[in-house]
Amino acid sequence: MNARPGEIIVGVIANPASGRDIRRLTAKASVFPTAEKANMVQRLLGPLGLLGVDRVLMMPDTTGIAAQMLRAVRTHHAQHLPPWPELEFLDIPITDGAEDSARAARLMVEAGVRLIVVLGGDGTHRVVSVAAPDMPLATLSSGTNNVFPDLREATVTGLAAALFATGRVGRGVALRRSKRLRVSIGSRVETALVDVCVTRIPHLGARAVWEAEAITELFVSFAEPDAIGLSAIAAMVQPVARYTPEGVHVCCDPAAARVLAALAPGVIVPIGIASSETMIAGRDYPLASRRGSIALDGEREVELAGGEAVSVRLDLEGPWVLDVRATLAAAVTNGALAPRTDARHPP
Amino acid sequence: MSETLNRESLLKAYRTMRTIREFEERVHIDFATGEIPGFVHLYAGEEASATGVCMHLTGTDYIASTHRGHGHCIAKGVDPVGMMAEIWGKATGTCKGKGGSMHIADLSVGMLGANGIVGGGGPLICGTALAGKIKGDKSVGVCFFGDGASNQGTIFEAMNLATVWNLPVIFLAENNGYAEATSSKYSVSCDNIADRASAFGMPGVIVDGFDFFAVYEAAGEAIERARNGGGPTLMEVKVSRYYGHFEGDQQTYRAPGEVQKLRETKDCLLQFRRRVTANGEITNEQLDAIDAEVKALIDGSVVKAKSDPKPAAAELMTDVYVSY
Amino acid sequence: MARKISYQQAISEAMDQEMARDQTVIVMGEDVAGGAGTPGEEDAWGGVLGVTKGLFHKYPGRVIDTPISESGYVGAAVGAACNGLRPVAELMFIDFMGVCFDQIFNQAAKFRYMFGGKAETPVVIRAMYGAGFAAAAQHSQCLYNIFTHIPGLKVVVPSNPYDAKGLLIQSIRDNDPVIFLEHKVLYTMEGEVPEESYAIPFGEANVLREGDDVTIVAFGRMVNFAMEAAGNLQKKGIHCDVIDPRTTSPLDEDTILESVEKTGRLVVVDESHPRCSMASDIAGLVAQKAFGALKAPIEQVTAPHVPVPFSDSLEVLYVPSVARIEAAVTRVKEYS
Repeated sequence: MNARPGEIIVGVIANPASGRDIRRLTAKASVFPTAEKANMVQRLLGPLGLLGVDRVLMMPDTTGIAAQMLRAVRTHHAQHLPPWPELEFLDIPITDGAEDSARAARLMVEAGVRLIVVLGGDGTHRVVSVAAPDMPLATLSSGTNNVFPDLREATVTGLAAALFATGRVGRGVALRRSKRLRVSIGSRVETALVDVCVTRIPHLGARAVWEAEAITELFVSFAEPDAIGLSAIAAMVQPVARYTPEGVHVCCDPAAARVLAALAPGVIVPIGIASSETMIAGRDYPLASRRGSIALDGEREVELAGGEAVSVRLDLEGPWVLDVRATLAAAVTNGALAPRTDARHPP
Repeated sequence: MSETLNRESLLKAYRTMRTIREFEERVHIDFATGEIPGFVHLYAGEEASATGVCMHLTGTDYIASTHRGHGHCIAKGVDPVGMMAEIWGKATGTCKGKGGSMHIADLSVGMLGANGIVGGGGPLICGTALAGKIKGDKSVGVCFFGDGASNQGTIFEAMNLATVWNLPVIFLAENNGYAEATSSKYSVSCDNIADRASAFGMPGVIVDGFDFFAVYEAAGEAIERARNGGGPTLMEVKVSRYYGHFEGDQQTYRAPGEVQKLRETKDCLLQFRRRVTANGEITNEQLDAIDAEVKALIDGSVVKAKSDPKPAAAELMTDVYVSY
Repeated sequence: MARKISYQQAISEAMDQEMARDQTVIVMGEDVAGGAGTPGEEDAWGGVLGVTKGLFHKYPGRVIDTPISESGYVGAAVGAACNGLRPVAELMFIDFMGVCFDQIFNQAAKFRYMFGGKAETPVVIRAMYGAGFAAAAQHSQCLYNIFTHIPGLKVVVPSNPYDAKGLLIQSIRDNDPVIFLEHKVLYTMEGEVPEESYAIPFGEANVLREGDDVTIVAFGRMVNFAMEAAGNLQKKGIHCDVIDPRTTSPLDEDTILESVEKTGRLVVVDESHPRCSMASDIAGLVAQKAFGALKAPIEQVTAPHVPVPFSDSLEVLYVPSVARIEAAVTRVKEYS
C-alpha cells in the first residue's frame, strides 16, 4: 500500500452518508445520490491519470460508491481510454460511519499520499482534517448545505490536485492554511472548521440545526455574506473573510433586533442578534450557556450535561487547503499545462 | 422550534421501548417451548423506530404495519395483554384469535394491521390519508415497511400516488439489512432506500434507528410537514433486528458476533438510558422502576394468555361479513 | 316513476344518487373524470365509456382521477373505506385485477375476519367484464368466479338496467367489500328503471320466467340469452324456469334448489371458462343437495377452456349462444 520510491499517490475520501440528512425534509436540500459521488470520483481520475499520478488510494464503502468505481474501472479499461491511475481501496473494516473517514485519512498519511481529495460536507472535511492534520486537502462539496468545501466541478479540482501532487505547482502557491475552532469541554477537545453553534436542544437528535429559535450562541472562523448555513448568520452582522486571522462570536436572542439569514437551502429566516464580537486567535471564549447541545459545523455532536465549563478558541492551524484557482493560474503562467505534440506522453 | 421532550415524554418513550423489548424477548422464550402456534417475526432491536414515530401520532392518525408488527402495535397504543393472547391464539386476543401475530390490528387506535403481504400497506395508508384529507380531519398516515418491501411495486405505486394527491403520508422504511435471509446490499439497487425519494418528488432522509432522539426529531418534522399540507416524506431508518426473520431462523447468513456487538454498543435502550441519565433529566432508579412495571405487565399477559380459552368452534364461521 | 334508460345510464344514476345522498361516497379510477391535468376539459371522458360523465363538477373533490396504478388506488380505496369513506373504485376492465388482486383478496376481503370482526370495509370495485367487443384475451374475461371463491367478498353481476341500478345502490350502502361487474355488451341495453332511488338486496335471485320442464340458471348477459332460448323452446312445448341469481356471492341457493326440485332438470349458462366456474359450482350444489330430484344429467353451457379470441368469427364461437342453450335444454328434456 505504501508509496514506492518516486511513486505519486493521491487519496480520495468520498463520504457515502453526505447529502442525506434531515435537511432534505426541513429545507429544500437535495439528496446527493451515490451514483453522482462515483461519477465525481471518475471525473477526478481523468486529470490525475493524464498528469501522471500513479495511484489513487480510496476509502471503501458498502453503499455503492466503491462498487460503482470497480465497474467504472473495468469499462474504462475495456474502452482503451486514456489511462487512469491505478485504483486501490484501503483494507479497513467498514462501519459506514465517520470513523471510516478518520481511519482512511490516517492510513493515507502512512501510505505517503501527496494530498487527499475529500468529497463531503463541512463535517466530512472536519473529520479528515482532525485525523490527518498536516495533510493537504482538495475539497469538494457533495451536498447543498456546505461552506468549507468548494462547490466546483471535480474535473477542475482533479487538474489542480494533479498539478500539486506532481510538483508542477509548488506548495507556496497551491496551498492556503485554514482557520479552525477548538472547543474545550472539560478535558475533551473538539474541532470545527467553520462554526460552533450552541443550541437549546438537549439532545443530538437528527444532528442538523435548522431552527433559528434553537440557537443561543455561535462562533465562526469565517463568515461570508454569500454563505449558506449557520455562518451566514454571523455574516449578516459581522462578516469575516476566510483567511484573515480572526473569527466572530455572536449571541442570539429571539427578542433582539433581527437579521435575515440563509440558514439552509430554501430557508431564509429572521434571527435575533443580541451581540457580536471579534474573536482573537488564541484566546478562550467561554460559553454563556451550560445546557443544550453543541453543533460542530452544523451537526449537533455534544450534549451538555450541565456541569462542565466550555470554551471556544480560534486558532490558525487548520488544514492546508488546495487553492484550485491559484494553482491553475500558476500552471498557465509556468506552462505546466502547455500542449505537447505527443499525446501519449502528457506534459 | 420543534417541541423538546419533557421528562414525562422521555419516560413514556422509555416505557414504550421497554414494553416492546420485554414483549418480544418473552415471545422469543415462549415460542421455543412450542406452545405458541404458527410463526412470529420479532421486532427486538428496532424499538426506537416505532416509538420515535408513533409518539407524534394521535388516535385519528393511522399506521400500516408489516409482518414484524408487534412493535408498531404497542407504540400505536394496542393493548399488549390482548396482543399476547392473540399470539397465543386465544379468544381474548386483540382479534379473537383469528388473526395471529401477522394480523394484529386495532382500528380504534388507528392501527390498520400488521400485514402478511410484504408491501401491502403502502396503498392502504394512502387510502386512510385520502379519507382524512377529504374529511378535513388533519390526520396523517404512516406506512412502515422494510428493505424487502422497498422493492415491491405497491410501495412505488403508493409513493407516486401520495405525491400526485399530495397526501399526508410518511413512508417509513425500516432498513434492517435483511429481507428474510437476503442482504439489502444485494437486493436494493441504490443501497439507500431514501435515495428513491427524489424520483417520486418527495424528501428522502436517513436516520440512525438505534437513536430514539434522531428518529423522534426527524419523524416529528415529517409528520408536522404532512399534517400542514406539505405532502409525503420517505424516511429511511437504519436498524437491525436482534432475532431471525422468523423465530427458529438460525441466522447463519449473519456475521459471527454481529448481533451481540450491536446489543453491546448501539442498543436503543442502552443509549437512551445513558443519555437521559448523563445530564440528570432522569434517574436510573426511575428507569429501573419502569423496567419492573413492564416486566410485571408482560409476565401477567403471558399468565393470562396461557389460561385464557381458545376460540369456541362457532367462531370459525363468524366475522367474515358484516352481513351475508 | 319508471322510464326507459340504458344499463350504462342506470349505473351512472345509481352513483349520482348515492353521492348526493351520502357525502362519504367517492368515485376513483383511471379517467373516471378523464382529463385531469390536461389543457382541455377536466372531465373530458367521464369514464372510459362515459359512465361517470357529469359527476366531476357535481361533486367537487369526490370524483378522483388516478394514475394507471391499480394496486395503488384500489388499495387506497380499501384504506379509505377503513377510515370512514365509501369509495367506489373503478378498475375499468376486470382483467386488470391481475395487477391489484392482493389489495382485494388479501387485504379488503380478509380484514374483518383477521381483525376479529372489528373492521368494516365498505368499498365497491366496479369493472367491465365479458366478451363481445373483439377486445381479445386481456379485456374480455368474466372472472367473477375467482372473486366468488374468496370469503369476505360479495360479487354482483346485474343482467339488466333495473337490476344494475338497484344492485349498485345496495353495493354502495353495503358494509362489506363488493365486486360489481358490468357486462360491457349490456351497456346499451334499455329497460324500465324507476327515477327514484331503490336498493335490491343481495342473495335474492330473480325468477324471470316460470316453467315446469327445465331450470335454466344464467348469469349476466347470459340471462338474456337464456330468456331468448326459453321463448323459442316454449314454442316447441318446453317450459323453463329462468333464474338470474344476480349475485354470485351471496348465492340464492334456495331458489335454485326449489326450482330443480320442481323440474328435475338443470342447465347452467355461464360465459366464463368451464373449470371451477359458476356453472360447475351450481352443478355441484344441485348434485349434492337435490340429487334425488334429478331426472337427467346436469348440462353446463360455458365458454371453452381457451383464452378469449380476438377475431369476431372466433369470438362468436367462444361465447355461449342461444342455439347452444336450446340444444342443452332439449337434451336434458329428452333424456329418458
